[in-house]
Amino acid sequence: MSKTRQKTTKVLIFLALVVLAISNIYPLLFVFMNSLKDRTEYLKNPFGLPNFQQLAWGNYQTMISQFQIFKLFGNTLIISVLTIFFLLALGIVASYAFAKLKFIGKNVIYFLIISSMFVPVQVTIIPIYMLFSRLHLVDTYWSVILTYLGMFLSEAILLMTATFRGIPDEIIEAAELDGAGYFDILRYVIVPMGRPAIILCVIYYFIVTWNDLFTPMILLTDMNSRTVMVALASLISRYSGDPTFQFAGLFLAAIPAILVYAIFQKYIIKGIGEGSTR
Amino acid sequence: MRTHWSSNFRKTKALQGILSVIPVIFVMLFIRFYPIAEAIYRSFTNWDGLYKNDWVGFKNYIDIFTNSPFWTLLRNSFVLLVSVPLQIFIGLLVAVLLYEEVAGWRFFRAIVYVPQIISAVIIGYLFRTAFGLDGPINLVLRRIGLEFLSIEWLGNSATALFVLVFCLTWFSIGWQAVVILAGMTKIPPSIIESASLDGANFWQRTFLIVVPMIARTIEYGAIMAIVWTFTGTFAFIYSITYGGPGYETSTIDYMIYTKFYQASANFGFATGLAVILLIIILVLTFAEMFYTNRFSDWE
Amino acid sequence: MKKTIRVFVSLIVIIASLLLVSGCSGTSQGSSSEPVKLTVWVNGRDSFIGPSEQKLSQDQWYISQAFKRFEAANPGVTVELVVQSDALQAHQTFRTAGLAGNAPDAANLWAGQFIFALRDVTQDITPYIPKEDLENIIGWDTVTLDFKAGSPIIGYPVPNNQVCFFLYNKKIIKDSGLDFDKNPPRTMEDFMAALETIKGKGYQPMAADEGQGYTYNFFYVASYWWVQQNGLEPILAEDSGQAKFADDQALLTALHAYQDLYTKGYLNQDAATSADSWNKFLAGEVAMIPNGSFGVKDAQDALGVENVGAVLPPNISSDAVIQDSLIGGPGQSMVVSKNSKNPEMTVKLLSFLNSKEEVLKLSEFQTIVPVRNDITAEELKLQPGSIAAQMFDWSQNYVFWVDNSLSPTVVDDFNKLLPLVLTGKMTPEDLAAQLDKDKEQK
Repeated sequence: MSKTRQKTTKVLIFLALVVLAISNIYPLLFVFMNSLKDRTEYLKNPFGLPNFQQLAWGNYQTMISQFQIFKLFGNTLIISVLTIFFLLALGIVASYAFAKLKFIGKNVIYFLIISSMFVPVQVTIIPIYMLFSRLHLVDTYWSVILTYLGMFLSEAILLMTATFRGIPDEIIEAAELDGAGYFDILRYVIVPMGRPAIILCVIYYFIVTWNDLFTPMILLTDMNSRTVMVALASLISRYSGDPTFQFAGLFLAAIPAILVYAIFQKYIIKGIGEGSTR
Repeated sequence: MRTHWSSNFRKTKALQGILSVIPVIFVMLFIRFYPIAEAIYRSFTNWDGLYKNDWVGFKNYIDIFTNSPFWTLLRNSFVLLVSVPLQIFIGLLVAVLLYEEVAGWRFFRAIVYVPQIISAVIIGYLFRTAFGLDGPINLVLRRIGLEFLSIEWLGNSATALFVLVFCLTWFSIGWQAVVILAGMTKIPPSIIESASLDGANFWQRTFLIVVPMIARTIEYGAIMAIVWTFTGTFAFIYSITYGGPGYETSTIDYMIYTKFYQASANFGFATGLAVILLIIILVLTFAEMFYTNRFSDWE
Repeated sequence: MKKTIRVFVSLIVIIASLLLVSGCSGTSQGSSSEPVKLTVWVNGRDSFIGPSEQKLSQDQWYISQAFKRFEAANPGVTVELVVQSDALQAHQTFRTAGLAGNAPDAANLWAGQFIFALRDVTQDITPYIPKEDLENIIGWDTVTLDFKAGSPIIGYPVPNNQVCFFLYNKKIIKDSGLDFDKNPPRTMEDFMAALETIKGKGYQPMAADEGQGYTYNFFYVASYWWVQQNGLEPILAEDSGQAKFADDQALLTALHAYQDLYTKGYLNQDAATSADSWNKFLAGEVAMIPNGSFGVKDAQDALGVENVGAVLPPNISSDAVIQDSLIGGPGQSMVVSKNSKNPEMTVKLLSFLNSKEEVLKLSEFQTIVPVRNDITAEELKLQPGSIAAQMFDWSQNYVFWVDNSLSPTVVDDFNKLLPLVLTGKMTPEDLAAQLDKDKEQK
């Protein structure tokens, strides 16, 4: 290939990359700009900039006061945080065992846990719903949290076990010689050295649980405790009213995930990548 | 390596091990294995969620295969799989560009993953509005003279599926790019450098050198994407086409949701669908692993 | 940086746990030793809570104030309002709550077949119903199991007779040279001609969103064309499997008329996938829209009271058994769950909501047609000539909702397949055949 052809290809590809990047940012921009228009303005002019004289901050006001979006945020936050907490509590301990301890049936148990990763949540959602119903857990946070644990423990353990395996045995042995017990090893060796995977889990599962729709939609429909995505979805899905109002909600709902991503972006990208190479 | 430990010590370690995994086993039994077993059992009954629960043998499965949109659902799932090679291909190109550090690569690396951060509710809603009859896509098409293309995208099975494939591909490019990029860190940089010194152009570098070296990574990305297409696309279908028109864009996993909410409450049917979905996924994953002889790597 | 993150995270966990603990106590059930507490589910739209109330704060809603009045009249009783955002999903949620034994005392669900399917989790309240209510409220058959007199009554009708008709934009109609006040189209031919005229003037004659999960537009109007030809009995016979939908000429005729609206170009081209028809009507871009008593206030607020008109659906043929009527009746109900610990007090509450005073108060918030037969138009302060007065007249002679009379399997089929029929991708004959096939299967 001639040098100019190479250069042209490079430029074209670069342009394609730019187009892709723009397409990635544009949705958020679109949502934000239109959330500041009122309904008639949006219907007339969906792509233009909002009228800066008359920014429809009222949409946000209604979102906050009447739609109580911060309460919804609170619900979603509680679910995300507790899910992560239990994922880590159960997962770190189990991953340490799989990575470093020897016991009967270890490989079989590990295999069973990992293979349940491939069972889609739809298979279990109806029996889970009935089970929780009998336990009076439907429409509580716990139903969603427990379901998430079932969904994510396998992946989390897979990731953490692989990371913990990379911790040199010598360090653990040295700690034991110093008199470290089970919990000491966890606290002073495993967790510090396994930090990248742990932090990745925190960030990744925060975003996933924050954005999730399917599970809370079925298990948590109570108006007071539902999550922000479920509330927005029911606002949008049928026959409804004011698109700009919906946009305000969508934009607000997107902010936490974006913030978390913006701050921890390097970790996420490294971590997801590493999960695949193990 | 540990033979110098006393057997007491080993026993303690074993005990610790078992106790460590018991909480997880307990949770999994409760939330995964028991419901799976119950789902399989219920699929052989006419359960309606309340008190009706008679054994009907394979009736649900027969109904699924003969008097339901099952074949449409299956077709739709397979059509959506088209997004997998597309996303890998584009993701690969992006990853190579990032690896070779084109101008502004740090910025692009951050941006390319952003769709994964945005909720499917938002993305779905935007795609639905964009491809509406008087939506932006059609407006642009009309303005540049391609009026015949400005159709009701979501109203026809073929074009609606196209919109879904487009959306799923766009959403997943970032993830594939990140995964491939990480896989590329295993390639010794010297190989790529010497290749370009030898005059290999971008395409040759990508497909003749990078791809063979990261085959396992691409395989991982492919299998995860395939499973996701069968099980993780609910939110997109719900937000963009609502499974319609009719059942034209519903997939098996979407149908399970539909059956859950329909007034007829035929849960035996719904769990039958779920079991079939499970079998499909297991077949695909085990086939892939068997084919590449990587079974042992999952331990 | 990492340390800060971990501290931060631990703080969040602690705060969240505290919130959770305080939140958990809110969801527990009241014990029976405490004063009586009733839980009532109400639909978030087109029921007790009107469209204009949704933007207000909760204590300004009619239903909240009604509950307060009941509590004042019954010391020791508190009523908790729970709003269900999706009326159709509420049936499913009620079913599983009932299975678990913690369904609310009363729930706002769709009358007829929708609640008959929940017979195992509702209770017979006949012993508690005051005699005057049985005499003064209509629509009891919609809350009596299988519509059969003498069967258990499981709830009260909602005091809102929701009748269905076409809302139209008076300005567009006038511009097209038509006058629906003096000369409403009463035959199908006149109706189609009127739509053609409107279309000729460059306006969008009609709009509908039939692909959003429930084919409301069919059930508002086209089902009337179906049921008016031979009455409801043949339809019920087909529904119970004694006859075939495929043999029902009335159904096929109605479906063809429904299809014609689309093929002749009177409906929006994307009727099977759109979601903004109502918005378009409110923006003044559409001449007519199938709707009913529930949309009147919204339309009047958007287009102006003088600019909104209502017109009955035309009669599909002059041989039809029922003429000059419309779909309506108490399509919603308040059922009492089987596990309610206070059925007597719950019935007292439902009776209260259906009382004359309360119905008159409700009419101040929404334009409703009562289901009581002892309220006159004057008492409702209806302006003669207004849509409210028209609705009141029409409601004296309605046909009960077809979708509430059909079994769930059939309704599900309609909802999924009607968009295909509307746009010509499926023939009415095929739809009827599919209905029969699914009936056999069940």
